[in-house]
Amino acid sequence: MDEAITTLRDEALVALDACGDIDGLEAFRIKYLGRNGAVSGLMRSLPGLAPEARPAFGRDANKLKQEIEAAFTARRENLAVNAAADRGGVDITIPGRCLPGGHSHPVSQVSLEICDTFAAMGFDIAEGPDVETDFYNFEALNIPSHHPARDMHDTFYVSDSTLLRTHTSPMQIRAMEARRPPLRMIAPGKVYRCDSDVTHTPMFHQVEGFLVDEDVSFADLKGVLSLFIARVFSVDTAIRFRPSYFPFTEPSAEVDIACVICGGKGCRVCKHTGWIEILGAGMIDPEVFRSVGYDPEEVSGFAFGIGAERIAMLKYGIDDIRLFYENDHRFLSQF
Amino acid sequence: MKFTLSWLQDYVDISLSATELAAGLTMAGLEVDSVDETGADLDQLVIARVAAVEGHPDADRLHVCEVDDGEDRRQIVCGAANVHAGMITVLARPGAVLPGGLKIKSSKLRGVKSDGMLCSAAELGLEDGSDGILDLDRDLSVGTPAASALGLVDTLIEVDLTPNRADCASVIGIAREAAALTNTSLRSPAVSDLSFSGQAPFTVKIADYDLCRRYCACIIRGVKVGPSPWWLKKRLLSVGLRPINNVVDITNFVMLECGQPMHAFDFNRLSGTEIEVRSAREGEKIKTLDGREHDLTPETLVVADAGGAVAVAGVMGGEATQVDAATGDILLESACFSAVSVRRTARRLNLGTDSSYRFERGVDPGATAHALARAAELVVKMGAGEIEGAVDVQGKAAKPLKLLFRPHRCNKLLGTSLSGEEIMAMLSAIELGCRLIDTETLEVTVPTFRVDIEREIDLVEEVARLVGYDHLPESLPRVTLAPAIESPDRVFRLKAAAAMVEIGLSEVINYSFVSSSHRRLLGYGESPDEFVRLKNPLAEEQSVMRTTILPGLIENLNHNLNRQAPGLMIFEVGKVFHPRGGRDRQPRENTRISAIIAGRRNSGAPVIHFGREKVDLYDVTGVVSAFISRMGYRIDAFTVAEDLPFASGTVAVSVNGVRIGACGELSPGVTREFGVKQAAWFIDLDLDMLMGIKREDKIFFPLPKFPAVYRDIAIVLSEAVPVAELMASLEKGGGNLLESAELFDVYKGDKVEAGTKSVAVRLVFRSAGSTLKDKQINKAMNKILAEIARDLGGKLRES
Repeated sequence: MDEAITTLRDEALVALDACGDIDGLEAFRIKYLGRNGAVSGLMRSLPGLAPEARPAFGRDANKLKQEIEAAFTARRENLAVNAAADRGGVDITIPGRCLPGGHSHPVSQVSLEICDTFAAMGFDIAEGPDVETDFYNFEALNIPSHHPARDMHDTFYVSDSTLLRTHTSPMQIRAMEARRPPLRMIAPGKVYRCDSDVTHTPMFHQVEGFLVDEDVSFADLKGVLSLFIARVFSVDTAIRFRPSYFPFTEPSAEVDIACVICGGKGCRVCKHTGWIEILGAGMIDPEVFRSVGYDPEEVSGFAFGIGAERIAMLKYGIDDIRLFYENDHRFLSQF
Repeated sequence: MKFTLSWLQDYVDISLSATELAAGLTMAGLEVDSVDETGADLDQLVIARVAAVEGHPDADRLHVCEVDDGEDRRQIVCGAANVHAGMITVLARPGAVLPGGLKIKSSKLRGVKSDGMLCSAAELGLEDGSDGILDLDRDLSVGTPAASALGLVDTLIEVDLTPNRADCASVIGIAREAAALTNTSLRSPAVSDLSFSGQAPFTVKIADYDLCRRYCACIIRGVKVGPSPWWLKKRLLSVGLRPINNVVDITNFVMLECGQPMHAFDFNRLSGTEIEVRSAREGEKIKTLDGREHDLTPETLVVADAGGAVAVAGVMGGEATQVDAATGDILLESACFSAVSVRRTARRLNLGTDSSYRFERGVDPGATAHALARAAELVVKMGAGEIEGAVDVQGKAAKPLKLLFRPHRCNKLLGTSLSGEEIMAMLSAIELGCRLIDTETLEVTVPTFRVDIEREIDLVEEVARLVGYDHLPESLPRVTLAPAIESPDRVFRLKAAAAMVEIGLSEVINYSFVSSSHRRLLGYGESPDEFVRLKNPLAEEQSVMRTTILPGLIENLNHNLNRQAPGLMIFEVGKVFHPRGGRDRQPRENTRISAIIAGRRNSGAPVIHFGREKVDLYDVTGVVSAFISRMGYRIDAFTVAEDLPFASGTVAVSVNGVRIGACGELSPGVTREFGVKQAAWFIDLDLDMLMGIKREDKIFFPLPKFPAVYRDIAIVLSEAVPVAELMASLEKGGGNLLESAELFDVYKGDKVEAGTKSVAVRLVFRSAGSTLKDKQINKAMNKILAEIARDLGGKLRES
């Protein structure tokens, strides 16, 4: 194909694309397709060519004319539709007709995510009563009355022997009483402590988890919780296990993740340590096994407790736990 | 537990920076809560000597002092009562800024020029309140910067101690851990033992060794009570304790140093010569050091003299026998009281002290005498008195526990493969003696200060701690595959919540405890037995367990309307609590789903399409119908129910003939009680009850092969006949051929007779076997009209 033809073709198609309105399109028509336009100009140059080159040139020039005309028509129709929209025919920028959906509470969402993560690993899911007995909430978990560990639980009492559960750990006892190992279970639910400030509400949500079998080790606990954190946060979230104390686990651990706010560099949220505590865990104490008639020489197991609000606050950057219970629609509709 | 780096270094050489030490302690299970550099802000203060003191001409309480700051003599007006000539104290010169932000300037006080300020410990940020300015040791050199001269440049570390680590409620305890951490050794202060063999001018009797294992005491005669030397004051001040006098300060210092709480009695204020540790007598009273009067009961352990209780054992001493400036002889006590008894007493008297904190967690029964010797020696060293006789009374002497430890079991529980030798080396570093009994077993001797180590498993934790949790291996459990069982209640509840969200309502969560006024606000009568009541609520608004979810939702509505929400559709699924009689019985927990709908319909949807109309009853019944259907049930026709106390118009919601709840409009009186000034609708359903109803199995109906025929009719009938009855009549008359009937208009007005309405319905006829002919349809129509005429008195509307 003659170079003059290809050059003109490229130039015309680019110019056509650049036409934004009807006026531009008319100018284009005159310049390229008009009687004295560029395409006609090609035809007019025909006599100046060598006789043997003329038929091919003429055919190509005609083809070009058809191509540009077709593109011009398409472009004009396209512009016409848009022009109609602009002139109030159909304004596609008006919002579409759609009903807003409802929003699930962020704590419900996070709690579900935690449960799903463990359910996918084969953990059963069970629930228990909010108003518990002292026996299930404390005694059977190796926290006798007058144990200083009771200070760690600011308990709401209904009577001397009934109380609002301070953790979901009573489900460990209820499940182990009802069944024999192997057991792997999580127990989500509301828990209560008389404490109220920016980081504490008197009611919050916990997910208890435990696994009892022959030969379960602390290494297994580390493995399962690492998987959990990788899934709920991200696989590259740094985590650390450090010694702690719970009367119902021995050894006991607290698990920290690298501060999600500062990335571990140290900030106000992580008290400049670079770490944020997210859950408590440990190997189930032999006393707990004895209280449900299991032989601690035969079985071992681990348990952990995760605060749903805490995970939600870290995931979404919420700085005041009380927002969860104000139920402001401007808050709820963000999730 | 607070301590400073310089104090710690009295017992162990620390090569780590404060931050490294803090990280190390945290990873060893002693979680460091804060690390603070202290004293840096005291740079501009200097040691100064008060050269002369005169009264202020115009103010009785002010003194005009001449103060030597090493460079100049300055005139300073001071209001402290304790200022005197020759006193060494701290001077803030003009330009200095105190820790509280106060900038010192030259000024006139009641007309007298004051060129700076003499400082109290409080003004230096060392304590909360002070009586008078600092009275320092005479050998401090005048003119030197106060912070360094006083040793105030230090690092304060606070450890959030877990209840098991009683041994670390002391600086030496922390030092022991720090030594193990850094592979160095602990330097305990050298103390010469007290002689308990000689004659003592008093005797000690312990009524019950279960409540008091051991009681050591000694008499110190000729005590000169006065302010402590600066080193001692500084140690106490550095951790936030207020110095009182040398004797009391020593007892506090020894407690902080080795974890043994101590008490000093004014010996001459004790009556008789026998100290008895016994349960309090019924009706016995004591006024404690804090000035509070307590009625004691036999559950309280006391230290008593011939005249009665002189101290609440392990908690606080009595005011009558306290050591003060007039004291000549003291009886110094170091005892080991029962943890449970002290805890019970401290709770009952609401009297938590540094002493009770330590006893509750467990005090080393092997170190009682040692701590006494340490304190007595310090008193003597200070030239404050001479020891005269000591007594040590105990039941069975505390012996180090010997535990069998199986490295194999430890490895199995931790997932490790440590050798017996490795374990021995680690345990020895924290003074746990180890001896190989056979190839499989170690014998571990637990020193008495580790009151938390009683079992093999406790030693396993020590090993894990010493290896470092981060260095323990990680694996996944090998388990037998089994199907996961999920609580059916939970599955049903989640499905219900999801259904509501899909319908367009947002989920809220409210506290399970509410105000006891809620039931009354809903129009129910007062009945205190209706509630599960908390014994110790945080506030009246959170004092009883809810018996209905609705009030919380109405409060949420009010909150949102007050924040200009144009409309709201919210629901909550949760438990309500009904007592079963007797506070000790666990209540009946009933799961309900409730909703509140108010304001603009479809608020949040584009107004241009949906307008600003407000919701009405049909929005509510629509949500209920959609909800029941999504849950897999077919809802019964709504019926008018007797009004609930809080409703003005109540619609019964039933499924399979079982009433599972209600919906309707809240009465304006009730909404007003909650601050809501516009109409609101409610839904309240018993989810447990719904779950108990058998769901219809889903059965496939083949898709029709033949076309349907449509007939629109308008029926005029009495206004009183509900549409549902007309529809039932239509279905009855239409028989097999009537596939469905769609209501499309209800008209009341001029064009029909008064008292009647016109109901327009599109009838859809279809046969499964053939295309319907007019004749068949006309026959069916006639039957339908006959049915309506007979049952409902309705007739076809003449157009």
